This record gives sequence, C-alpha cells and structure tokens, in this order.
Amino acid sequence: MRKYFTVFKISFQQEFAYKLNFIMWRVRNVLQIFLIFFLWDAVFSRPDAIVFGYDKAKILTYIFGVMLVRALVFSARSVDVPGEISEGNLTNYILKPMGYFKYWFVRDLSSKALNFAFSIVEFAILFFLLKPPFFWQTSLLFLILFLLSLAIANYLVFVIRFIVSFITFWIPELAWGAQFLFMMIITEFLSGSVFPLDILPIALQKVFYMTPFPYLLFFPLQVYLGKLPLNVIFEGITISIIWSLVLTVFMKIVWAKGLIEYRAEGR
Amino acid sequence: MDRVVVVDHLVKNFEVNEKGRGLAGTLSSLISPKKRIVQALKEISFSVKKGELVGFIGPNGAGKTTTLKILSGILYPTSGFVQVAGYTPWERKEDFLKQISLIMGQKNQLWWDLPAIETFELNRAIYEIPERIYKRSLDELVTLLDVEDILTVPVRRLSLGQRMRMELIAALLHRPEVIFLDEPTIGLDLVAQKTVRDFINDYNRKNEATILLTSHNMDDVAGLAKRVVVIDEGSIIFDGKLEELIGHFAKEKEIKVFFKDGADYKKLEGIGKVKKVKHPEVIISVPRHEAAAAAGKILENFQVEDLTITEESLDDIIRKVFQGKLGKV
Repeated sequence: MRKYFTVFKISFQQEFAYKLNFIMWRVRNVLQIFLIFFLWDAVFSRPDAIVFGYDKAKILTYIFGVMLVRALVFSARSVDVPGEISEGNLTNYILKPMGYFKYWFVRDLSSKALNFAFSIVEFAILFFLLKPPFFWQTSLLFLILFLLSLAIANYLVFVIRFIVSFITFWIPELAWGAQFLFMMIITEFLSGSVFPLDILPIALQKVFYMTPFPYLLFFPLQVYLGKLPLNVIFEGITISIIWSLVLTVFMKIVWAKGLIEYRAEGR
Repeated sequence: MDRVVVVDHLVKNFEVNEKGRGLAGTLSSLISPKKRIVQALKEISFSVKKGELVGFIGPNGAGKTTTLKILSGILYPTSGFVQVAGYTPWERKEDFLKQISLIMGQKNQLWWDLPAIETFELNRAIYEIPERIYKRSLDELVTLLDVEDILTVPVRRLSLGQRMRMELIAALLHRPEVIFLDEPTIGLDLVAQKTVRDFINDYNRKNEATILLTSHNMDDVAGLAKRVVVIDEGSIIFDGKLEELIGHFAKEKEIKVFFKDGADYKKLEGIGKVKKVKHPEVIISVPRHEAAAAAGKILENFQVEDLTITEESLDDIIRKVFQGKLGKV
C-alpha cells in the first residue's frame, strides 16, 4: 500500500507544477457556473414559479451541486492514458511491479482531492456573491446514501474512461477523439451536467436509468435533493453497482487483449 | 546452468496496415484496408550467461529493439520459447519485474516537471527497496555519474546528457540482475557518451549484471561488448566474439603499397579496387583468397618500395553491419 501513497504524494506535487494553468482552469469553471446560474435565474424570474418540478431553490441547488459533484467525479489525471498508449509511454508502467489500475486510481484521487478543495472555496465565494436560495439536506440517511452514490459515481467514471481509452490499442490515431466524444459529450450530457434529466419525457428517463450514465452525476444529486423515494434510491444503487461490476470485468478483458496488441511504438 | 537469458526459435510477426500514397491512397485504405504481415523475427535462438555483456547490432529495422522488448516482457511473441532469469517475460510477474530493467535512450520515465530525486523516491516505493539499500545504491550511483548538485533541479531544465544519467539511476536503483539497454548513448555528445559507456562497463563488472545492449554507435559496440549478436532482417547472422567478426565477414583484404616512382595507377585497376591514392601511397582492396596472388602481381609489374597486406578494420565491418551490407552467410 505504501507504494500507492508515494504515488499520491508525487502526483499531488505534479498538479502544482503548472500553477497558473491550474488557476486559469478554475476561473473557467467559475465563469461557467455564472453563465448557467444567470440562465436559470432568468427562467425563474417569478419567485413562485415551478418548472419541471423544480422551484428556484432546488434548481439553484442542482446547479451548485453539479459544480461540486462534477469537480469530484469528472476531474481525473487518467485523461493522459490514451496519449501514453499511442506514444508508447505505457511501456514505463508495465515494466514496473505495480498495479496499473491502482496507480491511476490513486493519481485520479489526488487530482480529485485538489480540484474538490478548490471547488469548495469557489463555492463559498459564489455563494456569498450570489446569495442563492439553497436547499440543505438534513436527513442523515439521505446524506449517507448521497455519499454512497457519489463513491459509486467516481468508480463508474474511472472504469468507463479506461474502457474508452483502451480503444487506442487498436486505433492509435483515435487517442483523443474517442475520449473527447465519449467523455465530454455523451457522458457529461447524459449524466445531467447540462440540465436535470427529469425534464425529459418519462419513457426516455426510464431507458436512461437502465444505463450507467445518470449514476455519474444526476442520480447522486437527486438523492441529495431528496427527490427520490427510498425504494427508487435502492434500485438505482443496485443498478449502478451491477454496472460497476460488469464494466470492471469488461475493462480487464479489454486491457488484457489490448496489451497483446500493444507495440510499444514511438521509435 | 547459469544461463540467464534463453531464447529458442523466437518468432514475432506484426500486422501492418498499408496505406497508399497521398489522399487517394488514404481514401482507398479507408474503404478496403490492406493488411500485410511483417516478420520482425524469424526463429531466432541464443542464450546469455550470467554477467555477460552482449551487443546486438544490425541495420535499422533488423529486429534488435523488438527482441529487447520481448525479453523485457512488453511485447508478446508470436511463437517460440523465452526465459529470462527463470521467468516467462510477458507474464510480468512482480518478482521478474524487480529483477530487470529496460533503458531506452529515447524514452524517459522521469517526471518531467519535478526534480529527478522525486522519481527515485517513487521507484523506491514501487520496487519496495529497503531504506538502507536504497540509500547505498543512490549514493553510489550519484557519485559514479556525478550528479549530486542537480538532483533537485526539475528534469525539464536538465541537458540531455544530464537527463540520461538520471534515467540510468532511476532504472538501476532496484539493482536489476538483467539490464536491457536500447541505444543508451543516442543523441549524447562525445563526453557524455563516454561517461555512460564507462558507467555501464563499471556496473557490469561490479554487480555481475547481465547486460544486453543495442546501439548504432561504433564506440559503444567496440568499447562495451565482448560478444556481439548480428541481426539482419529478423535473423541472427553472427553470434560470437567481437574479434571474430572480421574473420567471419571480411571478404576482402587491403594491400597498402608505397611506390618508388610515379607509377601508372590505372594499371592497378585490373588487380583490385583502388580505395585511396595519396602519392606515393596507394591502398587497394582485393578478395581475401586472392591477396597473395595480387601482391605478387604488383611486385612483378611495379617498382615497389614497401607493401603490406592487412585485414579490413573492425570499424569497416561494423559500419557494414549497420548498413545491412553483409548479406547472408
């Protein structure tokens, strides 16, 4: 275990190597929040309006929730993986006596820790500036279920990202394309990052709930907001755990097959 | 026996997608991709004893690096038997990985934005090197390679030579018993090349480490390897002592003649290939078995001050190996 603790430490140092870059990225995040905030603020210009079952407090809580949960769930260092495979840098990892997935999980964790810490600060500042009506979940049970679903979300994103990254073994030219298309557009869109998924038709929502995507962002937030009855929450947690297991097995199979394809190119 | 590396009938085929020229070629390869099998290694066999330092030489694309990659476990072979330190490399067991190291002159494992010492610390943890041994190895390597004062400088600010020395340290901290070196001196200036070369020699002697090395650098081959394996087009065409290379491959001998007076050098053309004319000295090369007869002819037809017959130099032979001009024997 000690080796992974050292990985965590060095990874954290690395994150600080480009301070200015990091700050710019955080500024972009804040601006994005502003944009979405004013959009929904305009929609709810009448204080008593309810749209798609959301009142102003809940939609704004949703937006701030998205900001925090996204920082936690979607930030990752393993975005570098496709590039490393296509450039042959994977060689460095498979030559060493350490678990490849454990290594990247720890590196993601350090990236998440840093991003989350900054998000909390930004959240406090924005909260102070905008003074939005905010929904505080007070039930301990719901908070625990929220944390559980959040942990599952983090794991699911990790596994999905690696499966998509491994396409690079077969199509090296696709290194960034596949990741961008899948992670940025499909995953973020379907996870409820842009709008809450329950404004969609019921039939479509039912289909969505059978896929892993809502469990990345939308579901944990719904749990926090207390919008779901307990039985639906347990059902969702069960489905997301099943997806975690299935995708883990799939990821390992793809990894083993990919390594046979791997050519350690780059010279 | 004490054979650390055993390779028997090793075959490696690659599948490559062929792409025609230009835009039209790209489009047609999209619609109907043409696949071609390239035989990178054709049933090669050899073995290496503990403590040996073997040089792999051959022209570009001969299969040297592919061999090292299979031996270190990054590539899977198509068929054949390979054993390194008693393990099958591509199973990549932890105990195997702790005993080997692959150092590529063009790939780096150092963390670019951090001082090299951070990578060393990380490797200490990954290889689970006990603190005491780590300190001793680090001190020793740092002194040998003379990098004390740049340990805490971010890697991106180091020169190529300094970085290569750091790479060597990172790769050797766990004291591997088998080391694969792929072009360790590539891109380095002459002084840095010598430092690296001396270090490899030292390390090999002191630690009884088994070292396999590929290089396109004449001095690397001549200065390091006592035994060389020549690979060309995926086959081993020579495996033996460095000195034996000459007897094996030299097809010609050189005759150096000092003429007494202005001889008509044109007439020499009939006897052998004129390689160098620097009056009154002329060097011609002739097939090995005709050397004596050719010398006789020269003595008969010209006024000669002095005449010597020499073998082609090792440098010439190795240069031909690199250029792939030796052909099958």
